[in-house]
Amino acid sequence: MAAPVKSMDKPPAEFSPLNFTSFQKKSRTKSLSIPGTRPSVQNGQLLVSSGVTSLDYLLGGGLAVGTVLLIEEDRYDSFSRMIFKYFLAEGVVCRHELFVAAAQDDPDDILQELPAPILDDVAIHRPGEQPRMSCEPQDTLDAMKIAWRYQNLPKVQSALASSSRFGHYYDVSKTMEPEIRQAAKWHRFYHPEHPPLSSGTHSPKLESYSALLKSLRDVIQREGFDLTAPLPKSRNILRVGLHSLGSALWGDDLCCYNNPKNVHALTSFLYGLRALLRTSLSVAVVTVPSHLIQDRALMGSITRLCDNAIALESFKGSERETNPLYKDYHGLLHVRQVPRLNCLASHLPDHKDLAFKLKRKQFTIERLHLPPDLSETVSRVSKGELAGAATAAAACSSATSSAKHLDF
Amino acid sequence: MLGNAPSFTMLSELLQGTDVGGFLLIQDSCSYSGRHLLKSFIDAALNREEVVHVLGLDVSEEELKEGLKSFVFQRLHFHDAYADPLGWTDNSPFTVHQFSSSRLTELLKQTAPSKPATLVIDSLSWVLRHISPTAVCHTLQQLKKGGAVRTIIGLLHEDMHSRGIVGSVCRLATSVITVEPGTKGEEALAKITKRSKSGKVTQDEQIFSIRKDLTVTVLSKPTNPGHKRSTTEEQVDPTANLTFNLRLTDAEREAKEKLALPFVFSKEKKTALLHSGPGSGKILYEPDASDDYDQEDPDDDLDV
Amino acid sequence: MFTELNSILNTSPESFTPGEFILLSDRQSDASFLIHHFLSFYLKARCKVCFVALVQSFSHYHAVSQRLGVSLTQAKEKGQLIFLEGLKESLSVFLPQEENAGHQAMSFLRDPAAGLRSLYEFVQSSVVESSGGGGASAEQWGPPVLLMDDVSVLLSLGVRVGAVLDFSHYCRTTVCSQLQGNVVMLVRCDGEAEEDDADDEGSEQLMRGLTHQSCLTLHVQGLPTGYCRDIHGQVEFCWKKRQSDGQHAPKKVFQFKVHDKGVSFFARGTSRAVL
Repeated sequence: MAAPVKSMDKPPAEFSPLNFTSFQKKSRTKSLSIPGTRPSVQNGQLLVSSGVTSLDYLLGGGLAVGTVLLIEEDRYDSFSRMIFKYFLAEGVVCRHELFVAAAQDDPDDILQELPAPILDDVAIHRPGEQPRMSCEPQDTLDAMKIAWRYQNLPKVQSALASSSRFGHYYDVSKTMEPEIRQAAKWHRFYHPEHPPLSSGTHSPKLESYSALLKSLRDVIQREGFDLTAPLPKSRNILRVGLHSLGSALWGDDLCCYNNPKNVHALTSFLYGLRALLRTSLSVAVVTVPSHLIQDRALMGSITRLCDNAIALESFKGSERETNPLYKDYHGLLHVRQVPRLNCLASHLPDHKDLAFKLKRKQFTIERLHLPPDLSETVSRVSKGELAGAATAAAACSSATSSAKHLDF
Repeated sequence: MLGNAPSFTMLSELLQGTDVGGFLLIQDSCSYSGRHLLKSFIDAALNREEVVHVLGLDVSEEELKEGLKSFVFQRLHFHDAYADPLGWTDNSPFTVHQFSSSRLTELLKQTAPSKPATLVIDSLSWVLRHISPTAVCHTLQQLKKGGAVRTIIGLLHEDMHSRGIVGSVCRLATSVITVEPGTKGEEALAKITKRSKSGKVTQDEQIFSIRKDLTVTVLSKPTNPGHKRSTTEEQVDPTANLTFNLRLTDAEREAKEKLALPFVFSKEKKTALLHSGPGSGKILYEPDASDDYDQEDPDDDLDV
Repeated sequence: MFTELNSILNTSPESFTPGEFILLSDRQSDASFLIHHFLSFYLKARCKVCFVALVQSFSHYHAVSQRLGVSLTQAKEKGQLIFLEGLKESLSVFLPQEENAGHQAMSFLRDPAAGLRSLYEFVQSSVVESSGGGGASAEQWGPPVLLMDDVSVLLSLGVRVGAVLDFSHYCRTTVCSQLQGNVVMLVRCDGEAEEDDADDEGSEQLMRGLTHQSCLTLHVQGLPTGYCRDIHGQVEFCWKKRQSDGQHAPKKVFQFKVHDKGVSFFARGTSRAVL
């Protein structure tokens, strides 16, 4: 299957133009099945996979077409960059088109670093089968002699997964073969290649963002992702990846000052991005170095202009790294916002205490729980410490925690 | 408690409007609107046969007159700056940029040339959003001195401005009433600061409620002025409803104190034990350098 | 339309208080579900509705309204609903193309410092012509209603807090006072309630200013004790004016849960999940 690119001047054959909505109901999507998409079980929205299965599950099945996922970067941008690459790799494997924009690294380089897909992975990673706990091998679980009362209890399943498989698995230790990568059709926007033009407008926009928005709009219109125009016969999804928006390299001073001059530049851009995506067959992932943005209110308005928002908090360089509570994980994941689109009730995660870890080959998001306490001496020393850490985790997961207050 | 606490409550004193040439400021916040109290002041002034001019920016004429008795309307003049304060729709009798003492005096003289009137500004916050605070303060000061105005009553949403601006306006006021929501129902708390011409400052806190006919009922003083209301929650006495007796009557106490407790020795026996008589032995021990002391705590393995 | 909310507010599409400015606000939570209630409520009440949608597309509101039993496309065709889709109009301002220069109402995007007079003029023309020139249209509609979702996004687009407050003041004078209609606005802010940043230009300041203008506020918050799957938060109802029966109950708090086709409200601690 070649990359389905049709030029705009080709008349639409038998499809009637869908001219006001980008979100089709299940019945309507039958006519336009796009590879790598599926309708949401909850509200019939068209979803694509983010490339990380556990993240898909967390976000209610996947990313809805026409929405923006905001990732607040971890301090060293290592894990957020990984999710970013997963998202693009999933696009390559599903033969979606890509639009990659960055100011720091050349988009070409980012593409070369994409993780390798595990294409015959079905047998290896059945979602029902979770990595076993080292202390309880499978056969002893089957027939318990002493702790037989626990026999029928369900196994602890900490990794988030849904019953049906969607998206692919990737091996982060290898990079994608060039043949697969080169088959993908993609567009690039490397900020240093777009020198700023001088203009006398005193609008809140920034040159770099305006150029980016314009470039994205041109791609959407030229390649036939625009839903307001008659669509070409075969449709595809455009995956938009915007790396490290708001950083100084984009010419933005959000991170540099407490009262930045271009305080509305990024939010205006995100508003425009939202407008563009809502009328097109595209989905975007935006990463923002939020730990550099001092103004929390500004971060709030950035979040509200995106649909999904998650924040990664890596333990690297924080005092949590040495905390025994977190020894199994690489960082915490906070769900800042869930999308509310075409429905009244939005998908809410079961709980908000989530952590992520990078296994040898795979990045997963799991429920945060205490590690099994195996040795007696260790337990003695760390008990008080753990309790302190647990309350700290509870405090940061809930909005406010007052010990006295009870809601019910 | 203040030493010279007025026998009459300060709030009702202010409502009677005895001071001429004053500037009364009502400060409110999001949690409780000061407009009800403002209307009570308007009502009180009208009842004293005074002429009242209202400069309405935040409030429409209907909304302001709601609740006031209609027979006093002839003495109430509403200057509508609510409908078009910025001149967007070109039907404005008064825009916010006309807020100056000369223009306001002119307005007051149009209708009541004879007698100084009460000027009500609802609200100063609207004005302060568009005119520089220094100009507003100048205007207020000139109005106060000008003679055309008997009293100025202003409403200020204090949470809309920086502390400096609020402070500058408060400095001009002769009395400041800060209203806050009360602990229950319709009650509200008023913190009153009044400066007399001699420079004496009186402060008070009062709980009040406003009835439907706009009369103000002063209920009480909060029990602990200066303390936060939230801390005055009822202290529950844990010994109140017990199934057993924790208290002693005097007779019971006396009986209790008479009782000799076991192992309490008499004075004689104590001295006999402490100062042993002659003939008894003593152990003297001087520690040696080679004595083996156990450095470790023998109870180390106990989890206590 | 959520019937439980109607009974809390003591209204119904057949009889509601005209001339009210209703503010929907939230803090670290999402109050946008309330906009859907008021949209369907006023459409069912046969009011002429002008909806300025800044953060969501028409298709979103259409899809949700359908679940609540109201068709927005029909209302639009009948002339009952005037829908300004901010997202769509903004694109023609951000990325001007030859054929159209964008809706006049959204011209503030070009120069946010100039204020929102153009947006007000759009609102005014759409509500005034409904009540004034009623002869031409086939159906007669009730008092006009202005709905706006998330006005705080205007701040993100560079508009000053004062300009938004001026705009809302004019909407109030025109719709509530002159035409005896209603205004419903949504404002969102996050961050803790702080006392000492009154001069801060932000959504907090905007929310306070709008609260002073409103006569009824519905404030949505998360639970103070943290996240819960079965109770999505609590709404604080706050009346500024005395209600018609003389009862002056300034505040009521209910907890809520959003479902697919509605929202259930319950008194604190009486959620079905915990009883």
